[in-house]
Amino acid sequence: MGGPREMVLALADDELCIGQNLAWWIAVGPFLEEDLALTSISQDELGHARALYGLLGDDIDALAYGRQPHEYRSAHLTELPCRDWGETLVRHFLYDTAETVRWAALADSSWEALGAVARRALAEERSHLRHASGLLSRLLRTEAGRSQLLPLFDQFTPLACELFELPPDCAADGLVAAGIIARPMSDQRAEWQAAVDDTLAEAGYQPQWPEHADPASAANGRTGLRSPHFAALHAEMVEVLALDPTARW
Amino acid sequence: MSEGRSTAAMEAAPMSTAAMEAAILEAVSTVCDPEYPEITIAQLGILERVSVSDGGSTIRIELVPTMLGCPALDVIATDVSAAARSACMGSDVSVDVVFVADPVWTPDRIAPGARKFMASEYSVAVRSSQSAATCPICGNTSLEHRSDFGPTPCRSVEWCPSCRNPIEVVGRVDLPAAMGAAPISPAAMGAAPISSAFA
Repeated sequence: MGGPREMVLALADDELCIGQNLAWWIAVGPFLEEDLALTSISQDELGHARALYGLLGDDIDALAYGRQPHEYRSAHLTELPCRDWGETLVRHFLYDTAETVRWAALADSSWEALGAVARRALAEERSHLRHASGLLSRLLRTEAGRSQLLPLFDQFTPLACELFELPPDCAADGLVAAGIIARPMSDQRAEWQAAVDDTLAEAGYQPQWPEHADPASAANGRTGLRSPHFAALHAEMVEVLALDPTARW
Repeated sequence: MSEGRSTAAMEAAPMSTAAMEAAILEAVSTVCDPEYPEITIAQLGILERVSVSDGGSTIRIELVPTMLGCPALDVIATDVSAAARSACMGSDVSVDVVFVADPVWTPDRIAPGARKFMASEYSVAVRSSQSAATCPICGNTSLEHRSDFGPTPCRSVEWCPSCRNPIEVVGRVDLPAAMGAAPISPAAMGAAPISSAFA
């Protein structure tokens, strides 16, 4: 199960990092509903991370917090500390659109427990995507929204493509053959790009998609290389544990 | 039996697996939800299964989380474990409380009595696949959706145009619909109605 486990670890690390990053918005959202929305989504993503780590072992805290930085497999997009709400919204849209495609490809997994988690998560994902695309569609009808948000897509899409990369030791072809995932990651990425294109077409915009990922230039969180933002994110996550390793909530 | 064994252990020892499962099920059924301290996890549909194996020494209790990220899960698991142990009356047992992803919890799992109680005591409405959410204050059944995200992950916020109160509704609007086999694509999901809070 080396390949599937590596894949699940990467997906779980994505959820952990973006969940932690979204929690930053607690009490500082631009309006009350948005404050509640981003932090509720944060809770959901952390719950998804927990469920995925639970497939890999019993000590979820050790998996989530106890590894060395090079042992994490998160995509760099999820590690970014979006402190600008527009950046947060664009990343949220790209991420939750991607997640919906990824979960759907796992819903009938031959790894039954993984399939169950995927179906459960997918049921929660609808409200995330409705939130992201609802806000985005409305803001893109305004000139201010277009001028501020559209450039962010070209900033984030290269990073977001990594959401459809798998760790190198995953044997991705084998995952499809074994029925762990229903479709190759490249097919999933194409569906995701088309969905993003559809939404942005409403605003008359075509985002720039990078050509097939170049291993030399692509972000490589999946190989264990952490972005410059990871250290601070991780330090925040383990702040209590670092003070008292026996602390319990 | 040695003289050193407690009376409780002697009583527990001859229990059949089925009787033990029934006793534990009865005990953990009384565990209440931290959010609604008068409503049990059985009434909320969180309690799924109790099984006993290894000749009565291993207990597995399966719970269905309302949401995977519900922050009350640890509290519930701790309470359930304690209730199961007390039902075993001091016997040396291993208790495993697990949250299962399948089946998916929906508001349909909430017992009718608990729904009434949530409406009357907490002013919280429940939307099920069979019935619309009813305003717990005035009984209006035409609530207006405001936001998928409310004070807890499992509650959305709606508005009653009749009595002009904000209403919390258990179950994000489409959780029951998500149970069906409907194909899911990002495009279709993005086209769903969006919250009027952002109008």
